Order: sequence, then C-alpha cells, then structure tokens
Amino acid sequence: MLNIDHEKCTRCKVCIRNCPFGALSLVGGSLHVNELCTLCGACVNVCRFDALSIERKKASPEELARYKGVFVWAEQDEETSPRKPRKVVLELLGKGRELADKLGEELVAVVLAGPGEVDTEVYGENGADKVIVCRHELLDTYSTDGFTNVMCAVITSKKPAVVLYGATPHGRDFAPRVAARLHLGLTADCTGLEINADGQLVQTRPAFGGNIMASIITPFNRPQTSTVRPNVFPVPGKYIGSSIVEEIFPVTLNRAAIRTRVVERRYLDKESGVSIEDARVIVAGGRGCQKAANLELLQELAQKLGGVMAGSRAIVEQGWIPHTRQVGQSGTTVGPELYIAAGISGAIQHVVGMSSSKTVIAINKDPEAAIFKTADLGVVGDAVEIIPLLAAMIEEKASS
Amino acid sequence: MHEIYSKTAPEVDISQVKHIEGFETIQAEYSAYLSDESKLSAKPFDYLFFPKTEVELAAVVKFLNQQKVPFTVAGARTGLVGGCVPQEGALISLEYLDKILDVYRDETSGEWRIKAQTSVSLKNLDSMLRVKQIPTLEQSSDEAIRRHYSEFREDPDQYFYPPDPTEMSASLGGSVVTNASGARTYRFGPTRAWVRGMRVFLANGEYLDIPRGKYFSSPGGQFIVYNSKGGATPITVPDYPQPRTKSTTGFYAAPQMDLIDLFIGSEGVLGIVTSVDVALLRREDKVSIIQFMDSDEQAVTLADALRSEGRIQLDFLEFYSGNALDLLRRLQREEPSTVGMPPIPEDAQAALFIEMSFDPHQEDLDFSILEAVINSCGGSLERSWAGYESRELDRFKVFRHMVPETINGIIAERKKQYPGIHKLGTDMAVPDGHMREMWDLYRSRCEELQLEWCAFGHIGNNHIHVNILPRNLEELEKGMQLYEIFAQRAVELGGSVSAEHGIGKIKAKFLKYMFTSEQIGQMQRVKKALDPQGLLNPNDIFSVEVTA
Amino acid sequence: MKIVVCVKQVPEVTNVQVDPKTGTLIREGVKSILNPFCEYALDHAVRIKNSVPDVSITVVTMGPPQAKDVLIRSLELGADEGILITDRKFAGADTWATSLTLAEAIRTVVPDYELVLVGKQAIDGDTAQVGPEIAEILGLPQITYGVEVALTSTRRQVRVTQEVEKGYEVIEASLPALVTCSKGEVVRRAPSFKDVINARNKRIRVVSANDLHLPEEQLGLQGSYTQVVKVFPPPAKKSNLLLQNLEAADAAKEIFGFLKEKRFVE
Repeated sequence: MLNIDHEKCTRCKVCIRNCPFGALSLVGGSLHVNELCTLCGACVNVCRFDALSIERKKASPEELARYKGVFVWAEQDEETSPRKPRKVVLELLGKGRELADKLGEELVAVVLAGPGEVDTEVYGENGADKVIVCRHELLDTYSTDGFTNVMCAVITSKKPAVVLYGATPHGRDFAPRVAARLHLGLTADCTGLEINADGQLVQTRPAFGGNIMASIITPFNRPQTSTVRPNVFPVPGKYIGSSIVEEIFPVTLNRAAIRTRVVERRYLDKESGVSIEDARVIVAGGRGCQKAANLELLQELAQKLGGVMAGSRAIVEQGWIPHTRQVGQSGTTVGPELYIAAGISGAIQHVVGMSSSKTVIAINKDPEAAIFKTADLGVVGDAVEIIPLLAAMIEEKASS
Repeated sequence: MHEIYSKTAPEVDISQVKHIEGFETIQAEYSAYLSDESKLSAKPFDYLFFPKTEVELAAVVKFLNQQKVPFTVAGARTGLVGGCVPQEGALISLEYLDKILDVYRDETSGEWRIKAQTSVSLKNLDSMLRVKQIPTLEQSSDEAIRRHYSEFREDPDQYFYPPDPTEMSASLGGSVVTNASGARTYRFGPTRAWVRGMRVFLANGEYLDIPRGKYFSSPGGQFIVYNSKGGATPITVPDYPQPRTKSTTGFYAAPQMDLIDLFIGSEGVLGIVTSVDVALLRREDKVSIIQFMDSDEQAVTLADALRSEGRIQLDFLEFYSGNALDLLRRLQREEPSTVGMPPIPEDAQAALFIEMSFDPHQEDLDFSILEAVINSCGGSLERSWAGYESRELDRFKVFRHMVPETINGIIAERKKQYPGIHKLGTDMAVPDGHMREMWDLYRSRCEELQLEWCAFGHIGNNHIHVNILPRNLEELEKGMQLYEIFAQRAVELGGSVSAEHGIGKIKAKFLKYMFTSEQIGQMQRVKKALDPQGLLNPNDIFSVEVTA
Repeated sequence: MKIVVCVKQVPEVTNVQVDPKTGTLIREGVKSILNPFCEYALDHAVRIKNSVPDVSITVVTMGPPQAKDVLIRSLELGADEGILITDRKFAGADTWATSLTLAEAIRTVVPDYELVLVGKQAIDGDTAQVGPEIAEILGLPQITYGVEVALTSTRRQVRVTQEVEKGYEVIEASLPALVTCSKGEVVRRAPSFKDVINARNKRIRVVSANDLHLPEEQLGLQGSYTQVVKVFPPPAKKSNLLLQNLEAADAAKEIFGFLKEKRFVE
C-alpha cells in the first residue's frame, strides 16, 4: 500500500498532478489516496520530500496466478504517419504469440503515442489479440520519464504475466526504470524465450560478451519482464482476417514530470543515418581497414550491392563512422541477408551483434581471426586491396 | 671434461623427407623462403627440405654431406642480417621441429626448465607459460613428462622465459644460435645466460647432447669430439678476449669455456641446434614507465644516473631521442588511435622507457630513490606515463615498438621513388662510461650532414640504435659512410658492432673491425674442424671476401 | 560539487573462453580490468573537474574485496576518493539488488552528490540496466548513452550529448541527475607514475551491509528477482570455407563467384 508521511508532506500537489489514475487528492488539507491507486509508484518518484513510500511484498503463487497475458511494448517508428511499429515489435509479437498460446492467455500490444493517427490493424495481422493505446501529446516523442510513468500505469492496472520490450536504445532506457519502480525482475537482451512446465518465462541471454549463455527465471514477481534483441526472432506470417480489440487507456501526464529537455537535435544526414538494423546487405569495416579514408571503398561496395556500410566498435570509437552504424553487443544487432566483414577480427562482442546474418563473408589478414569461425566464406587477405577489385567486378558485370 | 662423443641417429630413407627440388619450383611455390626479415634476396638454390623429425634431419644432412652440397638452415626467418637466406645449394627449414618436449624442475638448481624443439616461437612459448597450458605435454605418451607437467601446473607461481629479443615471432632455436638480446638483457643478460642444454647436429649428420656445466675446454684451450666411428676432431678455442659489452659478433671464446657457449651465438655455422633446454624465472608484477625529459642529453645523463644507482633495479632502460618522439607526434596528429597513447606532451624532447618490479597491492609504495635520481637530472615523475595492468603493459610495449615500425613505413614509402634506398640502423654497443661520447658523435655527425635520423633503444646496455632515413641515394651513400665511422669508433672504445642479433651475411663485413685477421683465422679453424667441407650456412659470419 | 562515478571490475572478456566439457568459464590467466564504459564515465568526470573549480570525484564500486583494484585505478586516473561496497551478503545480486545497494550506499555515504556518472553497460553482463535502476531508486532524471557531458554555466543543470539512432540529441536535466556514458577519449588516459603512487595515499572507505539501511532480505541473491537456472556454451558455429594464400585479384574473383552463386549479384 501507499504510505503517506504527513509530517514530510508539504502539500505541493506535484504528486496529484502526476498520478496517472487520479488516485491522489487533498482532503481537508492533507494528502489522501483513494481506491484507484494501483501502486504504480509515479508519485513516489516525483515527491521531493520523501513523503511517499510503497510497501511491496513478494507475491504468493496464488497472487502470481492473477497476472495474465503477454504484453509487448509496441515501439512506434516516429518517422511514420500514421504511426507504425518498428520491425522488432513484429518479431516480439511472433514470439509473444507462441508464449501466450503456451500459457493460454492473451497477447496484447501496448502503444504509447501522440495524438496523431496510429495504425492498429497491424497488431492483429501479426498475432495480437488486443491493442492498448495510450495517447498523450507528451508521448509523441520519447522521453524516459513520460514513457516510464505511462508504462507503469498500464502494468499496475492490467497486471500482465509477461512484458516484452525491444532492446532498442529507448527500450533499454526505460525498461529498467519501470522494473525498478515496480520492483520487477528484468532480463536484458534476451535471445531466447520460452515457457517452462511451471508456466515460468525462461529467458536466455548471452553473457561475458557472448562467450556463455545464461537461462534466467523470475520466480517471485509478476510481470516477468525482458528486453529482446532485434533481428533474433522472425517476423511472423500475416494472420489473415484476425480482428483486433482496441482499448484506449486513459493517460494523465504532466509536463513537469518530464525532467529532461532536448535542447538541440543533430541528426546525421539521411545517407549516414540509414538504419543498419533493417538493412538487407551490410558491408562492415574494422580496424584492419587501416584508416578512415579506406571506408569509402566499403561504402562503394555496399552501394553496388544495394546495402549499407557499418563497422565494429573499434572504428566507431576512433570516430571513423558514427555510432549509428556500430554492429555488436554495445551497438546494434543486425540480421541482414548478406554480411561482409572487412578487416574485422571478430571479437565475440561483435559476433554477437551479427551472428543472425544469413550469409557471412569475412576478409582478414590474420588466418587465426575469430571472424572466420562465423563466416560462410573466409578469405585470408587484405580487405583494402580486395574490396575495390570486387567492386570493380560487380560494376563490370552490371554494365555488360 | 673436454672430450665429447657424437652419436648417430637411426637411418631413414631421404626420399621420405618432404622436399622441393629445382629453383623454379621453389620460386613459384615457396617464394617466402627466398628471403627473411632482412629482405636480402636469395641466390638460386636447388633443394628445399622440410624435415619433420631429428631423424629426418640427420638423413638430409648426411645426404648433403655425401653430395658435397652446401646448405643453409632456416628457423622462423625473422633475422635482420640475412643469416638464413641461401646463396647456393640447399635450404633446410626447421619449421616442423616446433614441439615443447618437457617442463621439469632441475634438482640441483631448483629452477624450472623448458626442453623444446628449435622452432617453438617465443610468442607461443610465452603464451603457453602465461596460461600454463602446454597441449603437447598434456597429451604426451611419456608418463614422466605428464607428471612433470602436472607438477608445473600445481606450482602456484607464474613463470616466464626472460630473454625478450623484441621480435617475438622468432624461434627459440634461432634466438639461441644468435644469442639474441633485447630490452630485458639489461637485467637478465642475453639469451646465453638462460640456455641450460642443447642438442646440436654436426655437418656429418651426427649429433652432440651438450648440457651446460659438463664439457669445458682443457687448460690448453682444446675440445676433442669423437665421432661414432672413433675418429677424433680436435678443436682449439680462440684466445681473443670478449668485448666489455654485450656482443653477438663472432664466436664466443674464453679460457676453460663451456662447450655449449661455443655453439650459442655461432649463427649456425658450427652445427644445427635442434632442441634446447632453457631456464624459466618466476614472473613478477611489473610497471612500465615512460619518463619524458627536456633534451636528449638530459635523458642520456639520467640513464647513466639510473644505472649507477645501485639501489634501483630496473628490468630495462630504453631511450627515445627527441626526433624519435617527433616521428610519433606526427603519427598521432594524423591518426591519434594508431599510437594508442595520449598525446605526447608538447615539451617532451626525449624519453626514457623503464620497466621494473612493482606490486600494485602494496600499501606504502616507496619510490623516493627513483624520484630523487630523476629530479637530480632535471626530470619529474609528474611528467611520465605509467601502467602495470597486463593490458597496459601490452599497450606500452606496442608504443615502444612503434618507432622502428614507423621508420620502416617511411623507408618503404621512399623506396617507391628510389628503389635502392634502405634503412640504416646501427646495432653498436660501447662499454659503460662511453655512451655520452658515442651519443655526441652520433648527433654531431648526423646533424653536420643534415640527415634525417633518430635514435632509440637499449641505453641501459649503452646500445642505442641510430637510424638514418635517407631521402635520396646521395644521403644513403653519406649514411653508409657514417655507419662505418660509428662502427670503428665503437670498436675503438672497446665495444661491439653487432650487439643484438649476429652479423649473418649483411653485417659480416664488420667482423674485421672487431677482430684481427689472426683472430678471424682462429675462428675459421674452429669452423673447419667441425665442418671440414665448409657446407654449413655458407657466407654467414665469414663473408666471401674475408674467407678468400 | 561532488560527482559520483560508479565503476565495475570486469574480466577482460576478450580472453574469456568456455570449457567445452563443463560449460563453465575458464578464468585461468584472465585478468580483471576497469570496465571500459566505466572508464569513459570517469573520463567525463575528470574533464568536468578540469574545467570548473571545486569539483571532487568519488568512485563507488560493489564487489569482492579485490574490486578495490578498480578503485585504485580510478584514483590514479583522477578520482579523489573511493568507496568499496563489499560484504558476503551482497554476493549473487542481480541488477536490481545491485542497483538498490549502490543507490543506498550513495545516499548514505555521499548524501551531497549532485551528479552520478556510470558506464552505459558492463562488458561482462552487458545489461545496461544498473544505471537507469539507480536513477529510479534515487529519484533522479537520467540521460543514457552520453558522449559529451558538461555543466551549464549556472552549474545547476547537466548538458549531455546523447547518441540516438538518428545521430545526436543534446539534452539537459536539472541536477542532481544521472548520466550513463558510452564513449570517452579516443585513446585511454595514461596516469603519471606520480599519480600511480599518490593514488595509494587517497582515501578508500569500505562499506558493508551493516552500514546500509536495508533489510537483509533485500541484499544479494536473496534480494534478487531474477535467478540464473542454467549456464551453457553458445551453440556451435556453422561450418565454413577458408581460402588462404590468394593474390588479391583471385580473392576478389572467389568472392564474386560466391556472391553470384548466392544470387547477391545477378
């Protein structure tokens, strides 16, 4: 329950404005909480006087059983209109459908969006039973506080058994905040999910840079929450004729609750900003490319193959390419049809980020380079010499 | 004892040994064997052999001996003086003799030793010792070897092989026959100091097992080698004294010397070393420090001061001239990450690179003596970089090797315009007390001729590599003349013209600076006794003009 | 002002191998290092300290007693004091229990902190969760993936250049705040030997479970919500073709043929 320390409370009303459920009010000059409270914790978080606290207990099996449904955070592609989900959301719906069927429960997509138009049909087509839509002008663009508050409200009110987030920058930004506020277990960057005989979610993820896999459960808390890597699970086939139930979830959100302010946006041009996450062909460079100028050779080859250029953490940290193009454990997980690794040694952290590529070609001077273990075709040699020759051959073929 | 008996290996059919015949085929398919790190080019030769065992090697040597075919022996081909680049006859590559044979504790000395075949690379040896995993011993069919190995594994301490001749892809055997040295020679001595035994095949195909401390020359300076047929070969040890510096020029000689020392540093002209026993040392935590100084002279002074301060024990003491630092600065401006270190301080005009024992967990670190010495020479410990984590030591090591690599890059670039250009790097050491004088000579002569140059290296052993970077052929010519002047002066001061890696073919001409023709004659008589037909590694040490 | 930097000791994972027989990590010969992203966070703290007066940096780590090494390393690199949170009772903590313990220790030992900097993730666990969880527990605004961190002229806000998928956004938040850092100097700093010696004279406070106002059931394994049930080596890699000793032109031809065969070029 929500405890109010009336001695510490200054009646500043910040919590009242921030309660998504309208559960707080001033009654006779002191703060009062009513039965609408879901213990989402938004008020505790905004109180600057430590006047609010929530007592939480570990749930009993009976309590756990009251949590039902697999929820997927349907991250919106902010570039689209009407708003459509990112590809990873569809991947999660596919996996979520499997989990929901095993549990015999619903699969629900949760959309947080601004007042503009949202495509909700797509969730039904990809297996969801229901879509919960949370709309507010402050949700039009992402903010940690705004999304945390609303997600906490949805979870405390709907009590799902499982919540899945894409392990995208935003997903990894606010999922841990939601988990910390609601005292939930959260497993990061999962690459495998299944339901065991006890109905528990078994989450598998790489650790130690991918040298080892760990399976993790959350035995005493609900919901069980995970962030899941993009490009690990397939996008499901279309569910034809599935209808979707749409539920509007009322949102209370105050500008003051959002404590960060974007003062400048420096987006890279379209070309360098092109998403490597969804690319069909990637030509990636590593330290073996020797210098930044040589990356143009890779760029040219990528263009000829209808793909994009990317790179390893090593060259991103040297400033040769922007972070938006970093493949690997601390960058983006990619899953293209074709991945050409040029001068990349294949540190396990890199391999983890590209191992779901369908076809891999690696070029490296060092015959012992680890990247060769992952490659369908490995060539020992100098990428800087080989790549332009290859590009020329493709050019020749195209023009003949 | 000064008498030793050679043994024969079992017979094996020569046709079973992997070999390539004909220079054209070798050129087309085995081009790597036409040169080594020195980039010296081979002259046409007829056979390339790859013996997989000592028995096969014995058969090859016997065959070549019968046919009177001269033969050159190659290990990892990392030498800088063309020692293993054939000029005629045959080339025997020992690359398949690359197994660790045993790790054992010597009862008398208590030290751990490695017995290994000649082509084990120093790099592999080091990494196997780091993780204490040696697959060939684990899988050995010999129960005693497996027992030794598990005793070694159970020893809680870490061990390493102290000689560190910079080029870690070198082979162990190659480093023994060249008596290789490097930065750590400052504290641990050259390779010679760590060799405890060897097996060496002679030109007649028979072999000697020579443990250290068993065969010494007679008071008259003689060894006698008896072959399996009872024939006796007397060898008279030369009577010249060794220079008072580290040296790898010519044969080692001393009164009542150990036979093993004759073969160490002999550059393979007396026999083929197929396996060695070397001692290991307990590994200690280290710190690397790059101490920046205001001028080259200040750094030379500090080096002298550090060496003469008996209370400071450094593992190595290396020098970087101001113009060497400038080379790195230029590299850093172009691509900061390639150097892997923060920007070199603008006011640094020279640097000393030191490494010493350091326990990062010790509560009260007292380096006040070191600090006092540095301060007294005008330096400050605040103007230094230090690192002790293993990845930091690796990073510092890469930095240490960056100057020579950068120079090689520059020379390669200039070669495109002037194909005749090559690097001029000295390898001279002088006795203590003469470094400053030698430095002044290097500096004044290079500046006088307005050459592009820089210097770095083992100042702890008074052994700085001066590198001249000729910008055209005229400068190359001037540089080569300087080289001879430097070499003569080094010898006059009682030093050595080749302190680090032998003289092979490329530096063979310097032998006459250090030795009289009588002394060279003594060396050649040793060679003649052990290799009467002169088949082994022709033209190494004794260049054509000298032998003629 | 006080800046707290949370740091973690991690194995140098590029060397970590898994024993194929037992499925466990081979730790022999594997060194421990300061997590690179934590070093970046410290790097930003040092840069702030060098650019404005009256800044002190406290580094905090939770781990076994030998985790002190990363505190010392941080002190060499410019931090002013260290806090080692160590107790057998903290063992087995998941990200939640770790965050709770770290947050409580910061609250207790450095109550006057104004900025908390952490690495965006640790290279062993790679969860990227501890930063945001600490922020939530301490009730701080958070900015993740920072590559530039500075104080505004009033020193009341932190201004962070954040990596986002499309490029960069510059974000401000009022202090106190927490920033997770994704990049620092291109080349790692090198302390002077004087710094190395002096670091050993700086203060390191040791915090145990008794020093924190947390019930025992919220600590370590007991306080963790997630449980590891199985650890196993990653699935075997696919079989492959490795071509060696080719001239560049031949290598290009081979690759071209392969691309044609797989229909990437028509």
